[in-house]
Amino acid sequence: MKTRAMTAVLFLLCVCMTQPALAHRLRLYAHVEDGVIAGFAFFVGGGRARDAEIFFRDASGRNLHVGRTDHEGAFVFTPPQPQDVVIIVNSGDGHAAETSLPLERFAARATPQAPPESEPVVQGEAGAPLLIDTGSALRPADLALIERKVEAAVARQIGPLLEAYALAEGRVRFNDVMGGIGMITGLAGIALWASSRRRRDGGQS
Amino acid sequence: MAHIPDGVLSAPVFVVGGLAAVAALTFSLRALDDRQIPRVAILSASFFAISLVSIPIGPTSIHLLLGGLMGLILGPAIFPAIFAALLLQAMMFGFGGLTTLGINTVNIALPAALLGLAFRPAVARASVSTAAVLATICSVLCVVATGLLVALSLLFSSPDYAVSAKAMIVTYVPLMIIEGLITGSCITFLKKVKPELLSPHAAGE
Repeated sequence: MKTRAMTAVLFLLCVCMTQPALAHRLRLYAHVEDGVIAGFAFFVGGGRARDAEIFFRDASGRNLHVGRTDHEGAFVFTPPQPQDVVIIVNSGDGHAAETSLPLERFAARATPQAPPESEPVVQGEAGAPLLIDTGSALRPADLALIERKVEAAVARQIGPLLEAYALAEGRVRFNDVMGGIGMITGLAGIALWASSRRRRDGGQS
Repeated sequence: MAHIPDGVLSAPVFVVGGLAAVAALTFSLRALDDRQIPRVAILSASFFAISLVSIPIGPTSIHLLLGGLMGLILGPAIFPAIFAALLLQAMMFGFGGLTTLGINTVNIALPAALLGLAFRPAVARASVSTAAVLATICSVLCVVATGLLVALSLLFSSPDYAVSAKAMIVTYVPLMIIEGLITGSCITFLKKVKPELLSPHAAGE
Protein backbone atom coordinates (compact mmCIF):
# COMPACT_ATOMS: atom_id res chain seq x y z
CA MET A 1 0.00 0.00 0.00
CA LYS A 2 2.70 2.39 1.07
CA THR A 3 4.83 1.26 -1.80
CA ARG A 4 1.93 1.70 -4.16
CA ALA A 5 1.18 5.20 -2.89
CA MET A 6 4.81 6.17 -3.27
CA THR A 7 4.93 4.72 -6.77
CA ALA A 8 1.78 6.60 -7.74
CA VAL A 9 3.19 9.88 -6.47
CA LEU A 10 6.50 9.35 -8.23
CA PHE A 11 4.69 8.46 -11.43
CA LEU A 12 2.59 11.62 -11.21
CA LEU A 13 5.77 13.58 -10.66
CA CYS A 14 7.26 12.10 -13.81
CA VAL A 15 4.16 12.95 -15.82
CA CYS A 16 3.96 16.51 -14.52
CA MET A 17 7.57 17.26 -15.34
CA THR A 18 7.96 16.04 -18.87
CA GLN A 19 10.58 18.65 -19.66
CA PRO A 20 13.66 17.71 -17.71
CA ALA A 21 16.28 20.41 -17.61
CA LEU A 22 19.19 19.91 -19.93
CA ALA A 23 21.80 20.75 -17.36
CA HIS A 24 24.56 18.43 -16.32
CA ARG A 25 26.84 18.90 -13.43
CA LEU A 26 29.62 19.44 -15.93
CA ARG A 27 28.63 21.75 -18.77
CA LEU A 28 30.12 22.94 -21.99
CA TYR A 29 29.90 26.33 -23.58
CA ALA A 30 31.12 26.75 -27.15
CA HIS A 31 30.69 29.34 -29.85
CA VAL A 32 31.98 29.82 -33.37
CA GLU A 33 33.74 32.93 -34.52
CA ASP A 34 35.05 33.09 -38.06
CA GLY A 35 35.21 29.32 -38.33
CA VAL A 36 37.06 28.89 -35.04
CA ILE A 37 35.38 26.99 -32.20
CA ALA A 38 36.14 28.42 -28.77
CA GLY A 39 34.59 27.87 -25.38
CA PHE A 40 35.08 26.40 -21.95
CA ALA A 41 33.89 23.57 -19.68
CA PHE A 42 32.53 24.46 -16.26
CA PHE A 43 30.94 22.81 -13.27
CA VAL A 44 27.49 23.87 -12.20
CA GLY A 45 27.91 25.52 -8.83
CA GLY A 46 31.40 26.78 -9.49
CA GLY A 47 34.76 26.02 -10.99
CA ARG A 48 36.14 25.24 -14.44
CA ALA A 49 37.12 21.78 -15.65
CA ARG A 50 40.86 22.13 -15.99
CA ASP A 51 43.01 19.72 -17.96
CA ALA A 52 39.99 17.66 -19.00
CA GLU A 53 40.05 15.50 -22.10
CA ILE A 54 38.10 17.03 -24.97
CA PHE A 55 36.95 15.42 -28.23
CA PHE A 56 35.80 17.16 -31.39
CA ARG A 57 33.85 14.84 -33.65
CA ASP A 58 32.06 15.07 -36.95
CA ALA A 59 28.47 13.96 -37.46
CA SER A 60 29.53 10.34 -38.06
CA GLY A 61 31.33 10.18 -34.73
CA ARG A 62 34.85 10.30 -36.17
CA ASN A 63 37.37 12.21 -34.06
CA LEU A 64 38.50 15.42 -35.74
CA HIS A 65 40.69 16.39 -32.86
CA VAL A 66 41.43 15.24 -29.32
CA GLY A 67 42.91 17.64 -26.81
CA ARG A 68 42.77 18.91 -23.26
CA THR A 69 41.29 22.04 -21.72
CA ASP A 70 43.71 24.61 -20.36
CA HIS A 71 43.99 25.84 -16.77
CA GLU A 72 40.89 28.00 -17.29
CA GLY A 73 38.89 25.10 -18.69
CA ALA A 74 39.01 26.77 -22.12
CA PHE A 75 39.56 25.22 -25.53
CA VAL A 76 40.01 26.39 -29.13
CA PHE A 77 39.77 24.32 -32.27
CA THR A 78 39.51 25.12 -35.97
CA PRO A 79 37.75 22.38 -37.93
CA PRO A 80 39.30 21.67 -41.33
CA GLN A 81 36.08 22.72 -43.05
CA PRO A 82 32.68 23.98 -41.88
CA GLN A 83 30.63 20.98 -40.71
CA ASP A 84 28.53 19.64 -37.86
CA VAL A 85 30.81 19.33 -34.85
CA VAL A 86 30.06 17.44 -31.66
CA ILE A 87 32.16 18.41 -28.65
CA ILE A 88 32.54 16.00 -25.74
CA VAL A 89 34.43 16.81 -22.58
CA ASN A 90 35.42 14.20 -20.00
CA SER A 91 36.98 15.28 -16.73
CA GLY A 92 38.10 11.71 -16.03
CA ASP A 93 36.31 11.39 -12.70
CA GLY A 94 32.94 10.36 -14.08
CA HIS A 95 31.83 13.80 -15.22
CA ALA A 96 31.17 14.25 -18.90
CA ALA A 97 29.28 16.73 -21.02
CA GLU A 98 28.42 17.03 -24.67
CA THR A 99 27.30 19.80 -26.98
CA SER A 100 26.95 20.12 -30.71
CA LEU A 101 27.51 22.97 -33.13
CA PRO A 102 25.43 22.56 -36.28
CA LEU A 103 26.72 23.52 -39.71
CA GLU A 104 24.63 26.72 -39.66
CA ARG A 105 26.86 28.16 -36.97
CA PHE A 106 29.67 28.21 -39.52
CA ALA A 107 27.38 29.98 -42.01
CA ALA A 108 29.71 32.62 -43.38
CA ARG A 109 32.30 30.16 -44.48
CA ALA A 110 29.89 27.42 -45.33
CA THR A 111 27.63 29.07 -47.89
CA PRO A 112 29.31 31.24 -50.46
CA GLN A 113 26.36 33.15 -51.90
CA ALA A 114 25.42 32.97 -55.53
CA PRO A 115 25.74 36.35 -57.21
CA PRO A 116 22.45 38.23 -56.94
CA GLU A 117 20.61 38.57 -60.22
CA SER A 118 18.79 41.75 -59.32
CA GLU A 119 20.12 45.26 -59.20
CA PRO A 120 22.34 45.61 -56.13
CA VAL A 121 20.72 48.88 -55.14
CA VAL A 122 19.68 49.22 -51.52
CA GLN A 123 16.70 51.38 -50.71
CA GLY A 124 17.27 54.16 -48.20
CA GLU A 125 14.79 55.24 -45.53
CA ALA A 126 12.84 57.63 -47.72
CA GLY A 127 12.82 55.21 -50.59
CA ALA A 128 15.73 56.96 -52.23
CA PRO A 129 18.45 54.69 -53.49
CA LEU A 130 21.53 54.69 -51.30
CA LEU A 131 24.66 55.94 -52.90
CA ILE A 132 26.12 52.82 -54.35
CA ASP A 133 28.15 52.96 -57.44
CA THR A 134 25.92 50.74 -59.56
CA GLY A 135 28.38 51.07 -62.38
CA SER A 136 30.56 48.53 -60.62
CA ALA A 137 27.99 46.15 -59.14
CA LEU A 138 29.08 44.23 -56.06
CA ARG A 139 30.97 41.16 -57.05
CA PRO A 140 30.17 37.83 -55.38
CA ALA A 141 33.55 37.91 -53.71
CA ASP A 142 32.73 41.30 -52.14
CA LEU A 143 29.35 40.06 -51.00
CA ALA A 144 30.92 36.99 -49.46
CA LEU A 145 33.45 39.21 -47.70
CA ILE A 146 30.75 41.52 -46.35
CA GLU A 147 28.73 38.58 -45.19
CA ARG A 148 31.71 37.09 -43.44
CA LYS A 149 32.50 40.39 -41.75
CA VAL A 150 28.90 40.75 -40.58
CA GLU A 151 28.85 37.18 -39.31
CA ALA A 152 32.08 37.79 -37.43
CA ALA A 153 30.82 41.04 -35.93
CA VAL A 154 27.53 39.46 -34.84
CA ALA A 155 29.34 36.47 -33.37
CA ARG A 156 31.63 38.82 -31.45
CA GLN A 157 28.69 40.83 -30.15
CA ILE A 158 26.48 37.96 -29.06
CA GLY A 159 29.39 35.87 -27.69
CA PRO A 160 29.21 37.39 -24.19
CA LEU A 161 25.42 37.00 -24.23
CA LEU A 162 25.60 33.31 -25.09
CA GLU A 163 28.24 32.84 -22.43
CA ALA A 164 26.16 34.60 -19.79
CA TYR A 165 23.16 32.54 -20.81
CA ALA A 166 25.10 29.27 -20.53
CA LEU A 167 26.34 30.25 -17.07
CA ALA A 168 22.86 31.35 -15.97
CA GLU A 169 21.38 28.05 -17.20
CA GLY A 170 23.98 26.12 -15.26
CA ARG A 171 23.08 27.57 -11.91
CA VAL A 172 21.31 26.03 -8.96
CA ARG A 173 18.51 28.33 -7.91
CA PHE A 174 17.55 28.69 -4.28
CA ASN A 175 13.84 28.52 -5.11
CA ASP A 176 14.31 25.19 -6.86
CA VAL A 177 16.21 23.77 -3.90
CA MET A 178 13.45 24.87 -1.53
CA GLY A 179 10.90 23.35 -3.92
CA GLY A 180 12.74 20.03 -3.85
CA ILE A 181 12.90 19.99 -0.06
CA GLY A 182 9.18 20.76 0.04
CA MET A 183 8.54 17.90 -2.36
CA ILE A 184 10.44 15.46 -0.12
CA THR A 185 8.54 16.69 2.92
CA GLY A 186 5.30 16.13 1.01
CA LEU A 187 6.34 12.60 0.04
CA ALA A 188 7.06 11.82 3.69
CA GLY A 189 3.67 13.24 4.65
CA ILE A 190 1.94 11.04 2.10
CA ALA A 191 3.85 7.98 3.29
CA LEU A 192 2.90 8.71 6.92
CA TRP A 193 -0.73 9.28 5.97
CA ALA A 194 -0.82 6.04 3.99
CA SER A 195 0.75 4.05 6.78
CA SER A 196 -1.54 5.51 9.45
CA ARG A 197 -4.59 4.79 7.33
CA ARG A 198 -3.44 1.26 6.74
CA ARG A 199 -2.92 0.77 10.46
CA ARG A 200 -6.38 2.17 11.24
CA ASP A 201 -8.02 -0.02 8.61
CA GLY A 202 -6.07 -3.01 9.88
CA GLY A 203 -7.21 -2.25 13.46
CA GLN A 204 -10.89 -2.13 12.50
CA SER A 205 -11.04 -5.36 10.56
CA MET B 1 30.88 12.26 -9.70
CA ALA B 2 28.10 10.03 -8.60
CA HIS B 3 25.58 11.71 -10.87
CA ILE B 4 26.19 9.87 -14.14
CA PRO B 5 24.14 11.61 -16.85
CA ASP B 6 21.99 10.00 -19.55
CA GLY B 7 23.73 8.78 -22.66
CA VAL B 8 27.02 7.92 -20.99
CA LEU B 9 26.35 4.38 -19.83
CA SER B 10 25.66 1.45 -22.12
CA ALA B 11 22.23 -0.17 -21.90
CA PRO B 12 23.27 -3.37 -20.06
CA VAL B 13 24.93 -1.32 -17.33
CA PHE B 14 22.02 0.97 -16.59
CA VAL B 15 19.45 -1.82 -16.97
CA VAL B 16 21.29 -3.95 -14.41
CA GLY B 17 21.61 -0.88 -12.18
CA GLY B 18 17.91 -0.14 -12.57
CA LEU B 19 16.87 -3.70 -11.70
CA ALA B 20 19.17 -3.72 -8.67
CA ALA B 21 17.69 -0.41 -7.53
CA VAL B 22 14.11 -1.70 -7.91
CA ALA B 23 14.96 -4.82 -5.89
CA ALA B 24 16.70 -2.81 -3.18
CA LEU B 25 13.90 -0.23 -3.03
CA THR B 26 11.22 -2.91 -2.76
CA PHE B 27 13.08 -4.67 0.02
CA SER B 28 13.83 -1.43 1.79
CA LEU B 29 10.27 -0.07 1.61
CA ARG B 30 8.80 -3.36 2.86
CA ALA B 31 11.13 -3.30 5.85
CA LEU B 32 10.57 0.41 6.50
CA ASP B 33 9.11 1.14 9.91
CA ASP B 34 6.61 4.02 10.12
CA ARG B 35 8.67 5.73 12.78
CA GLN B 36 11.59 5.87 10.36
CA ILE B 37 9.73 7.86 7.70
CA PRO B 38 10.46 11.37 9.08
CA ARG B 39 14.10 10.42 9.53
CA VAL B 40 14.34 9.16 5.95
CA ALA B 41 12.73 12.37 4.70
CA ILE B 42 14.99 14.67 6.71
CA LEU B 43 18.14 12.92 5.51
CA SER B 44 16.81 12.74 1.96
CA ALA B 45 16.23 16.50 1.98
CA SER B 46 19.70 17.07 3.43
CA PHE B 47 21.29 14.93 0.75
CA PHE B 48 19.23 16.64 -1.94
CA ALA B 49 20.32 20.13 -0.89
CA ILE B 50 23.92 19.42 0.12
CA SER B 51 24.90 17.41 -2.93
CA LEU B 52 23.80 20.29 -5.17
CA VAL B 53 26.55 22.50 -3.79
CA SER B 54 29.78 22.05 -5.72
CA ILE B 55 33.06 23.20 -4.30
CA PRO B 56 35.83 23.84 -6.84
CA ILE B 57 38.96 22.02 -5.70
CA GLY B 58 41.99 21.77 -7.94
CA PRO B 59 41.09 20.89 -11.51
CA THR B 60 37.68 19.58 -10.63
CA SER B 61 34.71 20.28 -8.43
CA ILE B 62 33.35 18.10 -5.67
CA HIS B 63 30.15 17.80 -3.71
CA LEU B 64 29.28 15.94 -0.55
CA LEU B 65 27.47 12.60 -0.64
CA LEU B 66 26.80 12.01 3.08
CA GLY B 67 26.70 8.24 2.46
CA GLY B 68 28.35 7.32 5.73
CA LEU B 69 26.11 9.48 7.88
CA MET B 70 22.94 8.33 6.14
CA GLY B 71 24.00 4.68 6.22
CA LEU B 72 24.71 4.83 9.96
CA ILE B 73 21.38 6.44 10.80
CA LEU B 74 19.14 4.78 8.23
CA GLY B 75 20.72 1.45 7.33
CA PRO B 76 18.86 -0.10 4.38
CA ALA B 77 16.22 2.65 4.58
CA ILE B 78 18.76 4.85 2.80
CA PHE B 79 17.49 3.55 -0.58
CA PRO B 80 14.21 5.50 -0.76
CA ALA B 81 15.98 8.57 0.66
CA ILE B 82 18.66 8.58 -2.05
CA PHE B 83 16.22 7.57 -4.78
CA ALA B 84 13.77 10.40 -4.06
CA ALA B 85 16.54 13.00 -3.86
CA LEU B 86 18.24 11.80 -7.06
CA LEU B 87 14.91 11.73 -8.90
CA LEU B 88 14.24 15.34 -7.94
CA GLN B 89 17.78 16.39 -8.84
CA ALA B 90 17.43 14.76 -12.26
CA MET B 91 14.02 16.33 -12.85
CA MET B 92 14.72 19.80 -11.57
CA PHE B 93 18.36 20.33 -12.45
CA GLY B 94 19.22 17.61 -14.92
CA PHE B 95 21.90 16.29 -12.56
CA GLY B 96 22.26 12.65 -13.27
CA GLY B 97 19.61 11.26 -15.57
CA LEU B 98 16.43 9.25 -15.65
CA THR B 99 17.94 6.20 -17.33
CA THR B 100 20.83 6.25 -14.89
CA LEU B 101 18.64 6.90 -11.85
CA GLY B 102 18.80 3.26 -10.78
CA ILE B 103 22.52 2.80 -11.08
CA ASN B 104 23.25 6.16 -9.44
CA THR B 105 21.00 5.17 -6.53
CA VAL B 106 22.80 1.84 -6.17
CA ASN B 107 26.27 3.40 -6.46
CA ILE B 108 25.57 5.78 -3.58
CA ALA B 109 23.15 3.83 -1.40
CA LEU B 110 24.40 0.25 -1.57
CA PRO B 111 27.82 0.81 0.04
CA ALA B 112 26.25 3.18 2.56
CA ALA B 113 23.53 0.68 3.51
CA LEU B 114 25.95 -2.23 3.93
CA LEU B 115 28.66 -0.25 5.73
CA GLY B 116 26.04 1.47 7.87
CA LEU B 117 24.65 -1.90 8.93
CA ALA B 118 28.13 -3.19 9.66
CA PHE B 119 29.28 -0.18 11.67
CA ARG B 120 26.07 0.78 13.45
CA PRO B 121 26.18 -1.71 16.36
CA ALA B 122 29.76 -0.75 17.20
CA VAL B 123 29.03 2.98 16.87
CA ALA B 124 25.97 2.60 19.11
CA ARG B 125 27.92 0.83 21.84
CA ALA B 126 31.15 2.82 21.68
CA SER B 127 32.04 5.94 23.66
CA VAL B 128 31.58 9.31 21.98
CA SER B 129 35.17 9.64 20.78
CA THR B 130 35.46 6.04 19.54
CA ALA B 131 32.11 6.40 17.79
CA ALA B 132 33.39 9.51 16.01
CA VAL B 133 36.45 7.63 14.77
CA LEU B 134 34.34 4.66 13.63
CA ALA B 135 31.90 6.97 11.84
CA THR B 136 34.77 8.72 10.10
CA ILE B 137 36.17 5.39 8.89
CA CYS B 138 32.71 4.30 7.77
CA SER B 139 32.17 7.45 5.72
CA VAL B 140 35.63 7.26 4.13
CA LEU B 141 34.96 3.66 3.11
CA CYS B 142 31.59 4.73 1.67
CA VAL B 143 33.27 7.36 -0.50
CA VAL B 144 35.87 4.83 -1.71
CA ALA B 145 33.20 2.24 -2.51
CA THR B 146 31.01 4.75 -4.34
CA GLY B 147 34.02 5.96 -6.32
CA LEU B 148 34.87 2.41 -7.29
CA LEU B 149 31.30 1.62 -8.32
CA VAL B 150 31.13 4.79 -10.45
CA ALA B 151 34.45 3.91 -12.07
CA LEU B 152 33.24 0.36 -12.77
CA SER B 153 29.94 1.60 -14.24
CA LEU B 154 31.87 3.83 -16.64
CA LEU B 155 34.49 1.19 -17.38
CA PHE B 156 31.87 -1.34 -18.46
CA SER B 157 30.15 1.19 -20.70
CA SER B 158 32.38 3.08 -23.05
CA PRO B 159 36.07 3.87 -23.43
CA ASP B 160 35.09 7.47 -24.23
CA TYR B 161 34.18 8.14 -20.65
CA ALA B 162 36.93 6.11 -19.11
CA VAL B 163 38.03 7.49 -15.79
CA SER B 164 41.63 8.30 -15.14
CA ALA B 165 43.14 7.13 -11.88
CA LYS B 166 44.71 10.55 -11.35
CA ALA B 167 41.42 12.41 -11.75
CA MET B 168 39.69 9.96 -9.42
CA ILE B 169 42.33 10.45 -6.73
CA VAL B 170 42.28 14.22 -7.11
CA THR B 171 38.50 14.21 -6.75
CA TYR B 172 37.90 11.57 -4.14
CA VAL B 173 40.74 12.15 -1.67
CA PRO B 174 39.54 15.66 -0.68
CA LEU B 175 36.00 14.31 -0.59
CA MET B 176 37.07 11.50 1.75
CA ILE B 177 38.68 13.97 4.12
CA ILE B 178 35.74 16.39 4.16
CA GLU B 179 33.11 13.64 4.41
CA GLY B 180 35.07 11.98 7.19
CA LEU B 181 35.28 15.19 9.21
CA ILE B 182 31.62 16.06 8.71
CA THR B 183 30.36 12.57 9.53
CA GLY B 184 32.67 12.36 12.55
CA SER B 185 31.41 15.63 13.99
CA CYS B 186 27.75 14.84 13.22
CA ILE B 187 28.01 11.48 14.99
CA THR B 188 29.80 13.09 17.97
CA PHE B 189 26.94 15.55 18.25
CA LEU B 190 24.25 12.87 17.86
CA LYS B 191 25.92 10.57 20.40
CA LYS B 192 25.80 13.39 22.95
CA VAL B 193 22.35 14.73 22.16
CA LYS B 194 20.31 11.86 20.80
CA PRO B 195 22.20 8.56 21.12
CA GLU B 196 19.06 6.48 20.53
CA LEU B 197 19.15 7.61 16.90
CA LEU B 198 22.03 5.20 16.35
CA SER B 199 20.76 2.25 18.32
CA PRO B 200 19.32 -0.46 16.10
CA HIS B 201 16.13 -0.72 18.21
CA ALA B 202 15.10 2.84 17.59
CA ALA B 203 15.60 2.24 13.91
CA GLY B 204 12.80 -0.28 14.02
CA GLU B 205 14.73 -3.49 13.59
